[in-house]
Amino acid sequence: MIENSDFRIEEPDLSSKYDVDLIRRFLSPLGFYFDESLVEYSVILYNLNDDIVGVGSCLGKILKYVAVAPRFRESGAFAHIVTHLTEHVMNHYQQAFVFTRPDNILRFEGLGYRHIASAQPLISVFEFGYKDINDYKKYLGTIRSTGGEKQVAAIVMNGNPFTLGHQYLIEKAAVENELVYVFVVETEKSVFKFGDRYEMIRRGTRHLPNVRLVKGGEYVVSCATFPNYFLKNETPDMVTQKQAELDIQIFCKHIVPKLGICKRYVGTENYCATTQLYNQAMKTILPFKGVELIEVERKQLTEGVAGDFISASKVRQAIKNDDAQRLNQLLPQSTIEYLKEMNLSAIEQQLKTADLRH
Amino acid sequence: MELKTKAQAGSFESSDVLILVEPVEKGAGRIIELKSIVMQQFGDDLLGQIHANLDDFKIDDVRLIINDKGALPPTVSARLETALKRAAQLQSGTLK
Repeated sequence: MIENSDFRIEEPDLSSKYDVDLIRRFLSPLGFYFDESLVEYSVILYNLNDDIVGVGSCLGKILKYVAVAPRFRESGAFAHIVTHLTEHVMNHYQQAFVFTRPDNILRFEGLGYRHIASAQPLISVFEFGYKDINDYKKYLGTIRSTGGEKQVAAIVMNGNPFTLGHQYLIEKAAVENELVYVFVVETEKSVFKFGDRYEMIRRGTRHLPNVRLVKGGEYVVSCATFPNYFLKNETPDMVTQKQAELDIQIFCKHIVPKLGICKRYVGTENYCATTQLYNQAMKTILPFKGVELIEVERKQLTEGVAGDFISASKVRQAIKNDDAQRLNQLLPQSTIEYLKEMNLSAIEQQLKTADLRH
Repeated sequence: MELKTKAQAGSFESSDVLILVEPVEKGAGRIIELKSIVMQQFGDDLLGQIHANLDDFKIDDVRLIINDKGALPPTVSARLETALKRAAQLQSGTLK
């Protein structure tokens, strides 16, 4: 019989090679490769003989690498670690997320974590805290149109910044549907802040009465559910693909029924492998969930010239190069005006020093 | 008792209860989200006990998220008291 009071929790120093090695050696026979650059806080649970009972880590509001040695799995060690990490996360955030393999669904549900969705057979995501997906659904309820429209489309965009290409996609959807919801990615991992991106999209769609803007929250291409989207990654792996699937599963399970969405519009992807994978995953999942996927050819700057399409990354390049003429070609008037209002020098500086993907 | 910040007490372990406290605006009332593995058997009792405890502390406006894993009534009261005192920043001499 193992008592929980026999456990002692320690916070290793992640800058120490010795401590990192300790965790890595513990995790590797359990099938994890511990990458200390992907966590910012870790704990190790010992028993009184100084055996490692289990470990756990977190990055932001996401719990990671939670594992307990097989011979201690009948004890409360797992709950002990999760409690400690949850408390740590709650000091800074309103909710905690867990990514794990679907065979752990019962373990986390047993603790009180809520299962949001799974991408079989690799990833399930859970949440716990002051806020949950029902709060987001309530928010969607306030956005929801009461007009009884039948042809309802959705577009998800980051809009970093909002270009003529984005506008073209929204306009096309607005003509072909009675109502269009535009989800703006809320995660702050882009050069332009969410507030600015949202405002640029709002101004750029003001002339379209049947377009409604929606905040993406934690559940639409967010840091919590699709972290690899925000990494620069030339060769996306299985994990990225499963995260993309997870994002789409959440979309289908929680958002589509709430807003009555029947179509989703995306632009064709020409350069980013992660987004290509995302589009591919949509093609395989959405039709089975009753959502039609409409892939729209990107708007060309000059007809017939291959590769001469509009993209936000070209805009960022132009900002970096102070190329005003190029910007005029790529951006709608509303964005050009907005960029004049805001302080671009900080953005320029950021673009010059960092190499961000989205 | 005036609640100042969000706070937490208890754990996810079996026979324990995890309680999250969040201050809300005056007049919002008691928003209690109770989840228990013995909801069917003792859900009403638990809720009654929590209301009685809140009455004792004269707290009318609060949001509680309670994740019960079969804690005994004294455990629930103790966890709630600790969580509330942490939220009110009254707790001294214990863990934060």
